[in-house]
Amino acid sequence: MKITIGHLYPDLLNLYGDRGNIQCMKKRCEWRGIEAEVKEFQLTDAIDFSSLDIVLLGGGSDREQMLVCDQLKTIQKDFKEYVEDNGVVIAVCGGYQLLGHYYDTSEGRIEGLSLVDLYTEQGSPRLISNIVIENEAFPYPIVGFENHGGRTFINGNKALGKVSFGYGNNGQDKEEGVMYKNVIGTYLHGPLLPKNPHVCDHLLARALAKKYGRAELEPLDDAQEKEANEYIVHRFTKS
Amino acid sequence: MMVKTMKLRRITAILTAKALSFFCKIAGRQGVTMAGRIALRIDPDILKDLAAQVREKIFVVCGTNGKTTTNNLLCSAVESEGKKLICNHTGSNMLAGVAAAFVLGAKWNGKLDADYACIEIDEASTVRVFPHFTPDYMVLTNLFRDQLDRYGEIDITMDLLDRAMKMAPDMTVIVNADDALSAYLAIESGNKYVTYGISEKVFDEQNIREIREGRFCKRCGERLEYDFYHYSQIGVYHCPECGFSRPAVNFDASHIHMSNGLEFDVEGRHIAADYRGFYNIYNILAAYSAARTAGMELKRFDRVLQNFNPQNGRNEAFSINGNKVLLNLAKNPAGFNQNISSVMEDPNEKDLIIVINDNAQDGTDISWLWDVDFDRFAADNIRSITVSGIRCQDMRLRLKYVDIAADLIGDVRTAIEKSLKNGCGNLYVLVNYTALYSTHTILKDMEGKA
Repeated sequence: MKITIGHLYPDLLNLYGDRGNIQCMKKRCEWRGIEAEVKEFQLTDAIDFSSLDIVLLGGGSDREQMLVCDQLKTIQKDFKEYVEDNGVVIAVCGGYQLLGHYYDTSEGRIEGLSLVDLYTEQGSPRLISNIVIENEAFPYPIVGFENHGGRTFINGNKALGKVSFGYGNNGQDKEEGVMYKNVIGTYLHGPLLPKNPHVCDHLLARALAKKYGRAELEPLDDAQEKEANEYIVHRFTKS
Repeated sequence: MMVKTMKLRRITAILTAKALSFFCKIAGRQGVTMAGRIALRIDPDILKDLAAQVREKIFVVCGTNGKTTTNNLLCSAVESEGKKLICNHTGSNMLAGVAAAFVLGAKWNGKLDADYACIEIDEASTVRVFPHFTPDYMVLTNLFRDQLDRYGEIDITMDLLDRAMKMAPDMTVIVNADDALSAYLAIESGNKYVTYGISEKVFDEQNIREIREGRFCKRCGERLEYDFYHYSQIGVYHCPECGFSRPAVNFDASHIHMSNGLEFDVEGRHIAADYRGFYNIYNILAAYSAARTAGMELKRFDRVLQNFNPQNGRNEAFSINGNKVLLNLAKNPAGFNQNISSVMEDPNEKDLIIVINDNAQDGTDISWLWDVDFDRFAADNIRSITVSGIRCQDMRLRLKYVDIAADLIGDVRTAIEKSLKNGCGNLYVLVNYTALYSTHTILKDMEGKA
């Protein structure tokens, strides 16, 4: 079995340890004897979405997102087809904002991909915090760090989780992230996946299910991952 | 009457700060920042008035990495010219720390006896400090991603520095030409600027995976082209689109040798220092260029380097029961990667401790750990790695994902004791910011008892 991960524009969108998300998916495949290939795409590269099993869209500064968004228009149609066809996407921070229709900033509007029905508006102050969210579909909480000026509104879509500590999508509705088909968008970095192996395995399982029709993942020894996760949960929600 | 009250307030501020700093030292804590804060509260004009008493010039040193070493070297260089100076040796570099340096260096009656001031300032604090005094010179070492949770993004730091430069239009900027971000700021600021850099290619192997900030032209957004990199985004670059390029270099280090300490030539002089770490060439060069720009001859610069003892855990050596222990600060990916290089330059067997905290001064966001090339520690001559500090679990996990097993001991003293007991006599301790002072104290204490 083999998983191909497409990393979109690592030159520009690589703000908060996104390399860790890639490394985590890659290792958790390899430890199970699943081959994992990472393809990095630069801004002007053509992307054949049909060759990809997981797409990672990382975080960049507002300025860098502005640079990316022009190019995104050229891949919008293919990317949209990939998503509607249950392609797996993990989009973090700036990448999460780009999933939506637009991000309005004081410098102007950053047009998004409109892959998911959501939008973002700049707010003040930046929402900067450790964060803990809960989702019953996952066996234990999802933890990370958030740092975003944008307030994201997901128009009734399913959230990735309910906020038990931190701000979340917009600091108002206690929701964080979005889940749409096989897309996860989130403000959580830290990076997201190493301390949340359940989320990583969720993505891998979805990708395998789509490609091979079955998705049993061999369990791994996640003691160290869980300890790092529990440390954050305990420190911020149980004191 | 007014004058008398002001004078009394000044004296009260100075005495309170000095007393506070004294008691804090006895209590074993760094009271510098608090002393500065209280002095400013009692007398808001104190920094302005004390800085105005500096007889000749004021230097400030800014930049993500190398501030403290550069500033301390600059201090030694200025002192070698027979000048008296005020400086913040301890690295307390926000407004309160800067104020403390002046207040604690003043006489009780509010008189300051100094020819120069050499002050390192946290980049984001420049706009808070410059209303109190505008420096004659600013050294700008480099800009890397660092503590993103505090400053948001590197763009925000650059905006703040840009504002600071505009607040001090007569200030000359002494800038690292090899960093496109710093050079861009200096060039666009309208301020006079002087450059230093390394024009020759030093490393044959280029680490293509290293995270590089600012690969895109700040002026037009095009991808910069590099002739070569020294490390991170530091190198020789130009923009193929708009013509932005590495500026002409005034102080160019050439004939770099690193086999026996650090050696290079600048302005026809040979410079040699018994330090390790390529980045220290930039620190030496920055201090040298700053002092030369201010018109100093630096005839005794050799001796300055010989006598310079890196302080505050910047490559500081300890001897504990015959064990060699080297403490080094590593607080962001660029700095950490350079530290890994300097650890790996030592061919001997070694043990390693990595201490990671996430206090406010460290940056509470530690995701940068994943941008550091820790896989380079997977080498035979590294016997053991112990992770410690508040976020030791995260550090252990980081290593797990490059297939390196680590021992976890949260308490730093216990970690050091155990590493020494089971170790090979050659221990490296890499720490981030708030772990530095406490680890330094522990190592000093252990060295004293040994």
